[in-house]
Amino acid sequence: MTDRTVEFTLPLVGGDHVSLAELVQDGPRLLVFAHADCPTSHLALRHLAAIADGPVRPVLIAEEPPELAARMARRSGVRFPVLAQEAPFPVSEQLGIEAVPTAVLVDAAGTAVESLVGWDRAGYERLLGTPLPDRGPARKPGCGSRLHEPPAEGGLDEPEDMFERGWTDGLPVVPPTPERVERMLGGRDPGRSLGAVPPGGGTATLERVAACAVLAGCRPDYFPVVEAAVEAALDSALNPHGLAVTTQPGGVVLVVNGPARERLGLNSGMGALGPGTRANMTIGRALRLVLMLTGDARPGRLDRSTLSNPAKVGLCIAEDEERSPWGPLHVDRGLERGASAVTAIAADAPLSISDHRSTTPDELAWVLAQAAAVTWSPCWWPMDDDSLFVIGPEHAATFAAAGWAKERVREAIFAAAVRPAGELKRGETTPAVRESPDDRPIHKWADPARILIVVAGGEAGRYSAVLGPCDGMQTRPVTREVRWTT
Amino acid sequence: MDYVSPIDPRAAEPLERAPRPESLDGRRVVLLDITKHRGAEFLDRIEEHLRRRGSETFRISKEIFSRPASTEVIERVAIHGDLVVEGLAD
Repeated sequence: MTDRTVEFTLPLVGGDHVSLAELVQDGPRLLVFAHADCPTSHLALRHLAAIADGPVRPVLIAEEPPELAARMARRSGVRFPVLAQEAPFPVSEQLGIEAVPTAVLVDAAGTAVESLVGWDRAGYERLLGTPLPDRGPARKPGCGSRLHEPPAEGGLDEPEDMFERGWTDGLPVVPPTPERVERMLGGRDPGRSLGAVPPGGGTATLERVAACAVLAGCRPDYFPVVEAAVEAALDSALNPHGLAVTTQPGGVVLVVNGPARERLGLNSGMGALGPGTRANMTIGRALRLVLMLTGDARPGRLDRSTLSNPAKVGLCIAEDEERSPWGPLHVDRGLERGASAVTAIAADAPLSISDHRSTTPDELAWVLAQAAAVTWSPCWWPMDDDSLFVIGPEHAATFAAAGWAKERVREAIFAAAVRPAGELKRGETTPAVRESPDDRPIHKWADPARILIVVAGGEAGRYSAVLGPCDGMQTRPVTREVRWTT
Repeated sequence: MDYVSPIDPRAAEPLERAPRPESLDGRRVVLLDITKHRGAEFLDRIEEHLRRRGSETFRISKEIFSRPASTEVIERVAIHGDLVVEGLAD
């Protein structure tokens, strides 16, 4: 195979076609023939990936289609040029490649001057003129070339490919093909930016948001709600940077109001805080993927949450406005009742509150307040950030039967969560508690306005839930109207 | 297969760390208090040690620990110091 002039043109991964003549313009090249089913090929590539620039630069010629060639490069960390050679493998044929890896040294004139079969660290070091990392075996026999052995398995495993790229929250995703992303965008300008996503600062173009919506499993008609959710979550009033990098467990919880609920099939009834409905599950997940992938808020990287919480996969709650005796959240937040809206709230995981015995509104408000009293930290009073109460329909009916408006419920919960400072002087306490005489009453919240109330859940069962705050974050809920038109 | 990436390649590039100083001689150390609980006590002790070794120090605080520092604070850090010690957590 040596002392002969070589010429070929192959597709370059991440670029156009490239010829050998172009590759050797800057000097000799080491052509490394390899394929994805060969462990020795991967061993060689991992070593070659570690070298800085030497006198002879390697080129991977993968006996694979471009997507599998790209995958080989990603898995081994290869940054030098990668060429894809598909059946019937004309370049392998031309050079008589019997096994992989085979390295062929080509001089600046395009002549093959030397070759090396299998893995031989010292041999590669000599051909490249540079040392390689001293790890793993020094020699290893290779495998048969694709010229003679067809691939062990057909095609690319797309779900596995998504995991390898890191485009996931840990669950399988839908691959964001250009066709799917275009359908998700529905004619919107892919380059329009919703802002920089903290903490990494990646720009949330509509195209990237749509890619995350596809990955999450959204239907295209969910996209206007995803867009509004991302807008809300990037508003500085929510403090997205602090939420992304904190050691706290909380995440961004979404509440959807208005006609969007029925239009998209969002569940506000039985199991409203749990799994089972595509719209709820995937809209919340799409937002989290934008924060993780475009914003780089990945656990262990820039997301420094000590424990995190399961709701951070994504929690999208729809309010049951029809069963609620009160006005809906988006109206409390200043929008028209007929508008569709998303409210982003920084919150901890839901804490369920069972109360099948209270018969009066005062008693029930007291029970709800005592559950909330242990949120964040049991002796940390008052809390400055917002708590979200999700009142189940049966509990809501108890308040409604007594004629209690939402404001009265809020005031009653606020009033019932109060203790003398002396009882709170242990563990994590606030300066307000530490500096107060023991008999001074301290409320759990700094202000009743920090209590948000929505209604959701199944018609049977006397349960509510409270989602504690991300306290100390200086975060405030942000509401955005859903725009249906592009 | 071609996919639409959710990642902004400009943001994904790792930032290079500033070169580490080999000694503190002649350098001014900024002590940045992010206003977390007892961060100031930690910085007081660091300041004592630095001063004993002849270093010049400059104290500054962030407005609130849970949000990024203002441009003004970042500029003052850059103007007043050669390196920074930050009291980061509780």
